[in-house]
Amino acid sequence: MKKIFLIFIASSVAFASCKKQLDVKNPNEPTPEASTNEQGIVSLAQGGIYVNGFKDLKYGDGVFGLYWSGAMGFHEMLGDVIGAEAANSFENQIGCPDKVTLDNGTTVILNPNNPNKWYTFHRTVNQNDQQGSNFIFYEWAYSYNTIAAANKVLAILPEVSFSGNAATKLATMKAWCHFWKAYAYGRLGSIFYAGIINNDASGKTNGNYVTKEALIVESNAQYDLAVADLGAATSTADYNAVIGKLIPSFCQVGKGLPPTTAMWIRNISTLKARNILVNKTVASMTAGDWSSILGLTNAGLLAGDYIFTGRTTSTGDFLPASGATVSSRVQSSAPGGGGFKLSERWVQDFKAGDLRYTNNVKTGSTWIGNSDRGNAFNTRFTLWNGGNGVAGTYVYANTAPGAFELPLTGTYEENALMKAEALINQSQIDPGLALIDAVRTYMGAGLAPVSGTGLTLAQAKEELRRERRIALAFRGLSFYDARRLKISEPVSLGGGRTGCIVIPTTGVVNTNATIEYGYLDYWDVPDNELAYNPAAAGSAPTKNPKQ
Amino acid sequence: MLILCINTGWAQTTEVTGKVADANGLPIPNASVKEKGTKNGVSASSTGVFSIKVKNNATLVISAIGFETLEVAATANVSVTLTADIRGLSEVVVTGTGAATSKRKLAIAVESISADKLPAAPTASIDQALVGKIAGAQISSVNGNPGQPTNILLRGINTLRSGTFPMILLDGLEVKATDFNSLDVNSIERIEVIQGAAAATMYGAQGANGVIQLFSKKGRNGKLNIDISSSISQNSLLNVGDVHKAFNHSLVTDANNNVVNSAGVPLTFDPDLSHYANNVVWNSLDPTNSNVKQYNKNLQYYDHNKMFFQNAYTYNNSVSINGSRDRLDFNFTGSDTRQESIFKGNGKYSRSNFISNIGVEPIKNLKIRAVTQLVYTKSSLLDETGRTIIYALNNSRPFANYDYRSPDGNYGAYFGDAVGVNGYNPNYQNQYGHPDDQKIDIVQSFSANYKFLKFFEADVKYGINYQNQDITYRIDAQDNNLNADYWQYWLEYYSPRYSAGAPALATESGEINRQVYKTTFQNFLPSLTVRLDAEKDFGIKLPIKSTTYGAFDYRKNISTAFLAYGVDAPSFTPFTMSNMSTYKIVTDTKTPFVTYGYVVDQKFDYGELGGISGGFRTDYSSAFGRGSKPFTFPHFGAYLRVSSFNFWNGGSLGNIFPEFKLRSSYGKAGIQPGAFDRYITLNTNSMGDNVAFVFKTTNPNPDLSVEVSRETEIGADLVIKGFKGNWFSNFNLSGTYWDKQTDNAIWPTDAAPSTGTGSIIDNAFGLSANGLQISLNTSAYTSKNVKWNFTVNFSRQTSEITFVKDKPVVLISNAGSSGYVLEAGKKIGQLFGYFMLHAVDEINPATGDYYIPKANQGDFAVASNGWVVYSKPSDPNYKQPYVTPNQYSFGDPNPKFNMSFINEVNISSWIAIGMQWDWVYRSHLYNQTKEWMYRDGIHGDYDNQITINNETGAWTAFYRGVYAQVSRNGTKNYFYENAGFGRLRNLSLAVDLAKFVNVNGIRKIQLVFTGRNIATITNYTGMDPEISSGAYNSAWDRGVDHNSVPNIKSYQVGLNLGF
Repeated sequence: MKKIFLIFIASSVAFASCKKQLDVKNPNEPTPEASTNEQGIVSLAQGGIYVNGFKDLKYGDGVFGLYWSGAMGFHEMLGDVIGAEAANSFENQIGCPDKVTLDNGTTVILNPNNPNKWYTFHRTVNQNDQQGSNFIFYEWAYSYNTIAAANKVLAILPEVSFSGNAATKLATMKAWCHFWKAYAYGRLGSIFYAGIINNDASGKTNGNYVTKEALIVESNAQYDLAVADLGAATSTADYNAVIGKLIPSFCQVGKGLPPTTAMWIRNISTLKARNILVNKTVASMTAGDWSSILGLTNAGLLAGDYIFTGRTTSTGDFLPASGATVSSRVQSSAPGGGGFKLSERWVQDFKAGDLRYTNNVKTGSTWIGNSDRGNAFNTRFTLWNGGNGVAGTYVYANTAPGAFELPLTGTYEENALMKAEALINQSQIDPGLALIDAVRTYMGAGLAPVSGTGLTLAQAKEELRRERRIALAFRGLSFYDARRLKISEPVSLGGGRTGCIVIPTTGVVNTNATIEYGYLDYWDVPDNELAYNPAAAGSAPTKNPKQ
Repeated sequence: MLILCINTGWAQTTEVTGKVADANGLPIPNASVKEKGTKNGVSASSTGVFSIKVKNNATLVISAIGFETLEVAATANVSVTLTADIRGLSEVVVTGTGAATSKRKLAIAVESISADKLPAAPTASIDQALVGKIAGAQISSVNGNPGQPTNILLRGINTLRSGTFPMILLDGLEVKATDFNSLDVNSIERIEVIQGAAAATMYGAQGANGVIQLFSKKGRNGKLNIDISSSISQNSLLNVGDVHKAFNHSLVTDANNNVVNSAGVPLTFDPDLSHYANNVVWNSLDPTNSNVKQYNKNLQYYDHNKMFFQNAYTYNNSVSINGSRDRLDFNFTGSDTRQESIFKGNGKYSRSNFISNIGVEPIKNLKIRAVTQLVYTKSSLLDETGRTIIYALNNSRPFANYDYRSPDGNYGAYFGDAVGVNGYNPNYQNQYGHPDDQKIDIVQSFSANYKFLKFFEADVKYGINYQNQDITYRIDAQDNNLNADYWQYWLEYYSPRYSAGAPALATESGEINRQVYKTTFQNFLPSLTVRLDAEKDFGIKLPIKSTTYGAFDYRKNISTAFLAYGVDAPSFTPFTMSNMSTYKIVTDTKTPFVTYGYVVDQKFDYGELGGISGGFRTDYSSAFGRGSKPFTFPHFGAYLRVSSFNFWNGGSLGNIFPEFKLRSSYGKAGIQPGAFDRYITLNTNSMGDNVAFVFKTTNPNPDLSVEVSRETEIGADLVIKGFKGNWFSNFNLSGTYWDKQTDNAIWPTDAAPSTGTGSIIDNAFGLSANGLQISLNTSAYTSKNVKWNFTVNFSRQTSEITFVKDKPVVLISNAGSSGYVLEAGKKIGQLFGYFMLHAVDEINPATGDYYIPKANQGDFAVASNGWVVYSKPSDPNYKQPYVTPNQYSFGDPNPKFNMSFINEVNISSWIAIGMQWDWVYRSHLYNQTKEWMYRDGIHGDYDNQITINNETGAWTAFYRGVYAQVSRNGTKNYFYENAGFGRLRNLSLAVDLAKFVNVNGIRKIQLVFTGRNIATITNYTGMDPEISSGAYNSAWDRGVDHNSVPNIKSYQVGLNLGF
């Protein structure tokens, strides 16, 4: 009897004294302290960019949630490279033009959605209560994820002691952070009407919205910081040791091998040129702009340079083997079979005889989508998966793990075409065309050279337009071109495109249709941000004044 | 009342025979007959007859459930009449009270039900049997697929994040690892339910959702008893709203009514690729398009429900052996239930339970008991919830012949966009997918109870509850399936794919997934009760009794999860995951959780008149902010038995109301945060040969508090003497009103995206709830041969959000697609979406403005079906409905009240009839199933003609417009339907043939015929108004029907034998 009583008392006391048991920790995940050593900070700098910046977000479903297929896919929709039928996140409406006039000039197909004007659509959807259905949230949030991650890594760096040439390693790490911040600010400033400069590592933000131009200035400033850091990375071995770890091993293939500091600096130069080029209409470019671009592209990427790339893995570490890139979501057995539909307007921009067409564009029976979803995305084409067997010619889509090389930032092609554009616009037509030829050769297009063929300025510009459209497709750059050529603008603002191939629901191939896209050039600040971070007094306008 | 026939004839020991009957002379079967002060006892037979050997001058204690216990002298031949316990207060309950307490001396509401009142649900699970049985509770059967749990909402919503599921106790110890519906209904003697914080405060930081306590069957006194029961039931899916696909279509056809592609060529089925290569053309928004064409040419109509639904059978068997002798009692029960899926080829579900309950009394006043329940559950259900199958079928146009096999014998996965982009063939999944889900549960408890020094009762309980679930999901190689290869549409499970229609690559060559989940839960509960009686123990002439209860309660839970997959199988068979070309461990986690607390409760009773009680519980938990800070949960209660005062008891009031008790109590109880909600960590992400660190999207919060619910309940128990004669001889009425607040409900609050953070877990919401529960029981009719007992249970409750720290939160149902909003001042879990209107001049109550500006109202009219549509033929939206551009709350989907009407009729002791009707009044469901079926013109509504502008037709522009206007598949009030219903839950007839088959040793030969869910009255247009597709037991996601499997209608035949 007494024994039982004693056991009862003793056991109570024993358990009561086990307060220590309460601190169960989280045995599954590292604490932030794990990132304060060399290996840890490199892991954090890698995950902060590749995962926080491109993959993990609060919202998102399987159809549009990833940066490289979703957020960049929206650019390709607005650039009329792809279309979509699924209505997730209003995806089918993103690239739905306001109006299509068919060949006969009288049959007008209006956007069948309600609201049926893109401006209204954008503002209806840009509400906080649309949460993840607000498609413009994705690029914003991913970009700030990148910036916040880089800020935090930069803040931890002083606590980390590096082995070897610590100064080089520290400089490399800093360059990495500034580079990706610059990239993110550049993306933000190239699509949003205003934004926030947030270089606070504490996880706070501020309500001082700045103009898109100021975001580009910040982008360039961060690029400059990265260049300065790279200049301080004097020990090649220690630089390589760090960059070789920052870039995921499976991406270190082909062009994705770790760049030297010089290659990286050239990449930055290309991206700074992009910052200028994509943010002005072609018509408003000044001679000064063209010479800036020429200067930057002269210092930009070379054909043999290593760049930052993404590769898929069968385990989906960074990019899942399927659905992770825009083009992988286009490829299919037959037209219309993929989640993204290949635009007739993109296919029509191939020059006859282009081997990239032969190797990539698969023709099939006309796919007609849901008649009330859009009026321009029916198509006869899709992409071959892995190419159509033309050796030495670029392949747009390949879903075999690791087979497709996705450029994440600048490329030689982009640099060369920007340089070509600057030359052509500075009346150096042939040297410009020569660069176009070089890009075509680089991609195995098999087209006859156009330099030296006596093209007029207008013809040269058209040659350039088509080449940019074909060479740089599926990389989140297409809308920039549509915008700066004013194709995406309402007709009243000088926009639209004539001579389009359009297949309406009737299946009849129209070859001289006119499309009025009517897209807003820069998006308003997402309401998902403004709801929690209202604009402070003195902020730049957060809404594009175009109505 | 009491008739004693006293005979003489004394001896040292004597054999006493006798008979137990009720006031009408009907035998009381299975009444317990015990020799007072000993373990010696027997059970009366089915005819109420007993025989027992007792010492001379012994006293017999005779008891039976529902009757007042009686003590009589043991004479040679005893005939006993027991009085019905009309007050229902003789029962002793232990849940929420600390020390065992008679119901008449409780300050809290405790619902109790004995096992014999539970119906024979085909699932043989306790949760299904409890539906409608507990006044105040909303227990709903929300998915009819085998093994699916019920939604249990006791009192109000206390939390947004942690759901409504109550704590489950078995014989005093928590069962945390084992699923509630895995416990065997055959092993349970009785159930006690306490519903809110005021009662569950004894359980501290985890009791706010209430407690359901189960008590295992013990060995009965007397001889060895063997009970065998077997039943078989035939189950079919309910389809109350006659959900079917439109019999007609509105696709573009040629002159011969062949459905054609855009080139005008009739669609043909490709026999090798098992698909339609071309899409149909459907001018859905064309205002002239009417859904009146027949499937009578190149496309035929198939009834996919007939193709995939089947009558499923359920088999239940149970054997129980029990008895007791001297200082030992035992009960062994073995049960087995086997259920087929209602879908053809979707697999089976079975569960076997073995229970042993052994009690010994090695020395006087020391009782030791060990209860073991072993459960083995096996499932080969390919689609556990059945939702993906129903979704696939409901999104396939009816001309797909999914039973078609290609020349190489394979099923096609996807029949082309013509059939519908969201449709697929479940036969394909069945062909290639092979799940094997095995679960072992151990529920073991030991208890020792010792009474000593007259005042003290020490009790030590220890329980260990373990679950091991091991799932292997094998997917065969599919690379030879031409259809799947063409559409890149492979059955896959874990391999990383982000969208359907995108290739899973290696998956096509086979996949193995392995998931192993283990949970070990321990509960240690020593307690001490001190009972003092002022009169007896201290000689004080006051009828005061004191009960002091103190306990220490320690709980520890460790769960682990291990998930791995391998893809791309080798060419040989058999193979294991290690032979796959790619394999990966997806998850390898361990989740520890520790909590402990002290409970002190002091109670004083003043005779039979009343009593007060009070106490507190202090809890520590590994999940509380900063770890070491305890939370204290106080409680107080009082009761007054007004009917015990002389003025009442002796007067006319006492004659009419023999019992009237008032009670009230107050208490706090909590809900724990998640195990790691307070620990700031980094995520990891494998990155080739490296592991990347990743910032969390949802950030933990080190300062998180337990969610505390404060509740006050006030109640009364009243017995009303009924009429003389056979009808309504008494009424038992019990009612409780409760009111509660939760101040600090946890929710991940959104952060501005520019912080780089998604959300931060915080104590961010205030909630408030109140409700009323009433139970009325009456002996509706009593005669010599017929006894009809009638019970009505009523429950009304409402929960709302009082405070939101930040912006209202818009959420998407766990089922997908449907929107909810959590907003201050609104009921919890309101659907949120766009409005369609019933009048062109409808006014937005929030703003006082017209939804449609006055100037534009002329462009609209009300169609014959009552909805506002665009009515100008020149309008591109002509015949489509008007949909507001903004979103609003729809209202509270939860029912205004729910009631159950339970009838039990016994005729001549061998026939028993049971009937239960459940009534859920004005609950709402968002018919997301229908909205998806509107997408591709599939729903039967498309056949319904409507009139717009004097034009009558089955206008597709209207139906498709409902889906597509403003937001495709957007949440719209059109699909928000009244899902109130009345349901004949149970109808049973039991016939005991034992009295006709006079075989020695046979107590019972009972044949039972049961029908479940055999009639439903509702206006809801979906398959079943009771289902919910949200997360199980979600606090807010309770109002969506998104292709959930409806409940089953079942007819069951059972045989119960007793030896």
